[in-house]
Amino acid sequence: MKEKSKKLFFEMTVIVLLAAITGIAWNHRLLRDAYTGKYAIAKTPPEISTTTGAEMMPVGLMQVKDLFDRKEAVFVDARENSVFSQAHIANALSLPLANVDSALPMFQQKVPYSSILILYCSGYGCHDSKDLGKKLQTKGYQQILIFEGGFPEWQSAGFPIEGADL
Amino acid sequence: MRIKTKHYFLLTLRVGLGLVFIYAGILKIRDPIAFAGSVAAYKLLPYFLNYLVAATIPWVEAACGLFLIVGFRVRAVAGITAAMNILFIFLLASTIVRGLDIDCGCFRQGGAKTSAWIAIMRDIVFLATALILFTEQKERRFSYR
Repeated sequence: MKEKSKKLFFEMTVIVLLAAITGIAWNHRLLRDAYTGKYAIAKTPPEISTTTGAEMMPVGLMQVKDLFDRKEAVFVDARENSVFSQAHIANALSLPLANVDSALPMFQQKVPYSSILILYCSGYGCHDSKDLGKKLQTKGYQQILIFEGGFPEWQSAGFPIEGADL
Repeated sequence: MRIKTKHYFLLTLRVGLGLVFIYAGILKIRDPIAFAGSVAAYKLLPYFLNYLVAATIPWVEAACGLFLIVGFRVRAVAGITAAMNILFIFLLASTIVRGLDIDCGCFRQGGAKTSAWIAIMRDIVFLATALILFTEQKERRFSYR
């Protein structure tokens, strides 16, 4: 009986380990980038891409703050205009996913294609920033970082924000 | 007749649970970044570990689903799915206790929010199914039940 339980536990462990190793191998690039916080900065001018093949890098709060302090990135708020005007990350540009098509020409005039873009929305569970990132990739922006903690994480960390409600 | 009924009952449970897990796994495998966001929303792990969980758990789910459907190592896989569901139930209960209003991230990432209570009820059904398979399934490398 004890032998049977041991064997069963061994089988369970092997199945979990094999599946987990497969997952790590499959996602090794994502894991590496998440671990190092590295992001690719293109040396050559970006070409207009018609695919969404390039991976959009996730970026953590402290890396975002670092880029904010060094003024090396453009912050793009994917939330609704009304929410943006209440409060947003200081100096962020509004590009709501809902009316991206009408707002994009103005955005493209203002923001060079070589810019590092940090896209955010209402935090984990909000996917507008990622969807917006895909859209911007197809328009030629290649250096896109997704700040998944979004405005809630930035605000709760006490970092600079601005807006009508403040 | 009774044996035959039990046979079909177990077969239905096994394949049904397998389909649920393979579906849940594949949806998350396709979008690991979104799932990492769902994991992070539970506010339990540091930044990188959210990604590690998002990279591995869906593969365990999908493997369990596949093995249940084909009937490979059913008792072991039922044990894993039961353990995972117990873990999920605890995690979901923790969101209620901590007052977190988040999507459970159980299946499709993003979209309509599933409340923690509904997700817990669903996981209890999956847990019961896994436990039935765990106790009733005979030890065989491949099961045709």
